Amino acid sequence: MADRRTRGMTGSDLSRTTAARATAIAEQLRYECSILLELYRTKESFTAEVTVADGRLVSVPPPSSQLDTRDKLWRLHSALLQCRSLLERAIAKEEEELGGGMKGEYEAQRRMVKERLSLLLINTGELLKAVDGTVVLTPDLEGLELDGPTILFELKLWVYRIFKEVDYWTKTAITTLQGLPTVIAKERAGTTRRARSTRSARR
Amino acid sequence: MITWLLLVSLFCKSTQDGNRQNNGNEISTTAGVYPRNRVFKVGSRVTFRCVLSAGQIFDKMYLTGYNDPDMKTEMISNQTYALTVHLNKPSNSTCTDVKCHIQHVDTTKYGTCAHIGYPPGDVDLKCETRDLESVECRWTARDTHLARKLTTYQLVGRSCVDGSKGRCSQKVQVDVGERNWTLTVQNELGKVELSDRADLTKRVHMFAPEGVTASTVNARSVSLKWVWTVQQYNNINITCQINVSHDGTNTMSKYFGVGLNFAVLTDLIPNWLYNVTVRCGTTQNFWNWGDWSTSVNFHTRGDVPDALDVWMQRKDGQIIITWKMLLANQSHGDITDYVVTWANTTETEQQNRRKVAHNKHHLSLSLDTTKEYTVTVTASNKIGRSSPSTMIVPRFSPDTSRVKTSLITGSSGGFSLSWSASPVASCGYIVDWCPTSGHCSVEWLKVPPNETNASVFSKNLKDGVRYSLSIYACTQGAPVLLERREGYVRQERMQNRLFDPLEWKQQESNVEVSWIPIPQTSRTAFIQGYILYWSDNNDNNNNGNVSTDLGNPEATSLTARNLKISSYTFTVKAQTAVGECGDTSLILTLDSLTDDLIKTLLISLVTVFSLLSLITVICYRHWACIKQTVYPPVPKPLLTEWLTSPGEHSCHPLPVDQCYYSEADIMDIPELHCKSGAPVNGYVSHKNIPFVFAQTPNGYYNQPLKKFTPEPLILPTTTIPSQSSSFRCVFPNLSYSLIMQTLDQQSKSAPDPLEGTDIERNWNGYQPQSHTIFSLNQTNEDSESPMSCVSTYILFPQSPST
Repeated sequence: MADRRTRGMTGSDLSRTTAARATAIAEQLRYECSILLELYRTKESFTAEVTVADGRLVSVPPPSSQLDTRDKLWRLHSALLQCRSLLERAIAKEEEELGGGMKGEYEAQRRMVKERLSLLLINTGELLKAVDGTVVLTPDLEGLELDGPTILFELKLWVYRIFKEVDYWTKTAITTLQGLPTVIAKERAGTTRRARSTRSARR
Repeated sequence: MITWLLLVSLFCKSTQDGNRQNNGNEISTTAGVYPRNRVFKVGSRVTFRCVLSAGQIFDKMYLTGYNDPDMKTEMISNQTYALTVHLNKPSNSTCTDVKCHIQHVDTTKYGTCAHIGYPPGDVDLKCETRDLESVECRWTARDTHLARKLTTYQLVGRSCVDGSKGRCSQKVQVDVGERNWTLTVQNELGKVELSDRADLTKRVHMFAPEGVTASTVNARSVSLKWVWTVQQYNNINITCQINVSHDGTNTMSKYFGVGLNFAVLTDLIPNWLYNVTVRCGTTQNFWNWGDWSTSVNFHTRGDVPDALDVWMQRKDGQIIITWKMLLANQSHGDITDYVVTWANTTETEQQNRRKVAHNKHHLSLSLDTTKEYTVTVTASNKIGRSSPSTMIVPRFSPDTSRVKTSLITGSSGGFSLSWSASPVASCGYIVDWCPTSGHCSVEWLKVPPNETNASVFSKNLKDGVRYSLSIYACTQGAPVLLERREGYVRQERMQNRLFDPLEWKQQESNVEVSWIPIPQTSRTAFIQGYILYWSDNNDNNNNGNVSTDLGNPEATSLTARNLKISSYTFTVKAQTAVGECGDTSLILTLDSLTDDLIKTLLISLVTVFSLLSLITVICYRHWACIKQTVYPPVPKPLLTEWLTSPGEHSCHPLPVDQCYYSEADIMDIPELHCKSGAPVNGYVSHKNIPFVFAQTPNGYYNQPLKKFTPEPLILPTTTIPSQSSSFRCVFPNLSYSLIMQTLDQQSKSAPDPLEGTDIERNWNGYQPQSHTIFSLNQTNEDSESPMSCVSTYILFPQSPST
């Protein structure tokens, strides 16, 4: 009994720690995304009136209050995975079609955002594992527009849209992760009680 | 049929031509901006078209970065708008956006990216080989401002990966002999071909050696080895350059060999850390040094310390053997201790030995000054002991007056010396230096035999301190002192109040200001002379100065002359090469000459008064003695028996006829007649009747006469004038000492009463108390005159008639 309680408390603490860390990473990523968007607008002379089409590029279930923590975490993790794939593709296309010249602050910030997003994914994966206990599956990227436009002007807009998608899901991650610790503790307690009652019933 | 086909083809062709005239290589019916993804040359004039969808209303059209007010949008149709632009600027970010906005739509709907740039302009192609299996060319690339993919690079007909960096490499067969190596750079705006004709076997640019290691490490040598990844290098003659660095210094050395892959480094410092890098090139037809290898560090093994640099110093009757601390590159390991041995040169078997701790670098020895000694010093570390350093200590010779001492001035923080060569300096010279006064820890340097100059620098040399430098000849025996120098590295101004306390002395209108000599320890510069300034505190125009001759540093006074009586400020300064310094001031008011006189007078008066006071005191204290001596009291007459018994008296009444008396004065009592004579002690009778009396220091005394028996007194017969003051021979007054002699006796003998001889008296009883007997001269004329006496001593009753 004591061991189980100890294990349960350790897992909860670990989850809280991971969630806090993930939250911090997401906040840092949000800050870096804002800088990347500003640098891109400056490079391409995009004014404030330049907006892109609404609608998400990533494909995830719609948000719902009925979703439990595991589902929320899974949805978030999937979206971030798709964001990373889109970001990598955008960087590659940009280099291929529009590359050349000296690498400057914009290219460095673009790389930093990609690396920070990867770090966030590691943490959300750990959280998912801690809550669900299952191996995180790589989300299906089918249907994701990874080719990108051939027309350079549209390609630029597409890259900008991807940056904004990353920014959107980073903010969503912060909201989701901040609501996680108490939920995890409650759910962990609930899981433990259910397990005990099941065992006692068996006896 | 055939005609119909021809007509259709003609129709189709004309339609295509019509579309091409719209500047598009596509049919611009779809909404958007055209032409799309086109490359334009900077300076060209281009017309862009914006095609709208049905129902859309055109808002504006523009190029990013272009603010030409001459740009005007032209309406071609309801759904087509055109903008003609002079592209005078290359694209900043590989392509320039051309945007078309629609009214009532927030998003940027339509646009295109135009590549505005330059045709290729690359130059200076140079090709070489690195591995003898490929050609590597470099050139100066020109930025076309176009996307990288729009400009192609081909070397020897094959595409380069990224020619925009100005470098491309292709696998080729490298044969001996020249051939053309061609680079083609091409984009939509133009094409350029560069060629370089070369024999690549003569243009081998080697790679860096791989795996450089220090295989064998000794105390002073090390073996390096490496490998070549390019097999062909093993067959060519190679020259390698090895850069050896340590402690901030670099040394380059070269090594040669076919397929060279090792080198031995020598003359290294034991116990030292080194860093080496290697690069190589072909020995024949040298083209370029290859790349540097990665650096390799190694630490040489330890060795015995280097020999010590030893010197000596004579101080307080002892010999101090001193040696310089070995530097890290000389000690070859941590020094554990030093060993000093010494022995009389003639008695080498009696050797003394002493061990000195590692942190001390000197040893004091009490040696017999009449003998010569051989001293050796060695240093030890964990490897062993250094070679001995030997020093011959000569017999002490105090007479160094023959060695000339000259003055020297330093420069740039040190001293530059030069001296005459000495024939005895077989092993060079030694220069040592020390502060002239104060604590001395000698420093020295050694000069090779063929040099006669040295620069003395040390962090211990201080400004304002006088140093003594000595130049010795190094001989096979003891060092020989050649010359001495004294001086300052840098002279400094001396502080104020250097001459405190100043003394002064006024002599009439001159003032002499003096001071005690300045000790050497207080001097921070050579004193060339002194100068005295004075200024009148009441008159700014009254000032002046006087100075000693330059070259007179031993002066101790200066005199200001012809000064008015006033208050002055005197200031003494030392004259040095760094200016006048050591200001010491003195404010004083001069005394007037009248004042001097008054002063002298007062002093004299005080002196006299003091003397008189002293005399008065002395006299007061010894008054009785003085009085007795100078002014003895006259004793009271003592009446004795002879006065009451005339028969006993020697003084007989005179016969009447021999007495000078008047009839009125005839008395019953015979009188002594006196006549005035020379004053005796101020006593003179009216009649000048002389008389004599005798007196002792204590007064008169009665003393019976012993020798002299006078004749009976014969009174003169002449009459005596009747005056009150006239004397008469009256016996009752015979208490006074009178010498009564007969006239004959007076003429015969005139005893000198002054001589104090005893005089017999006729009278018994009264005799004068003093031996001094005064007499009055009597002339022969007066020989018959009556006896003399002083009237004051003899009081005769007065006759009524007088």
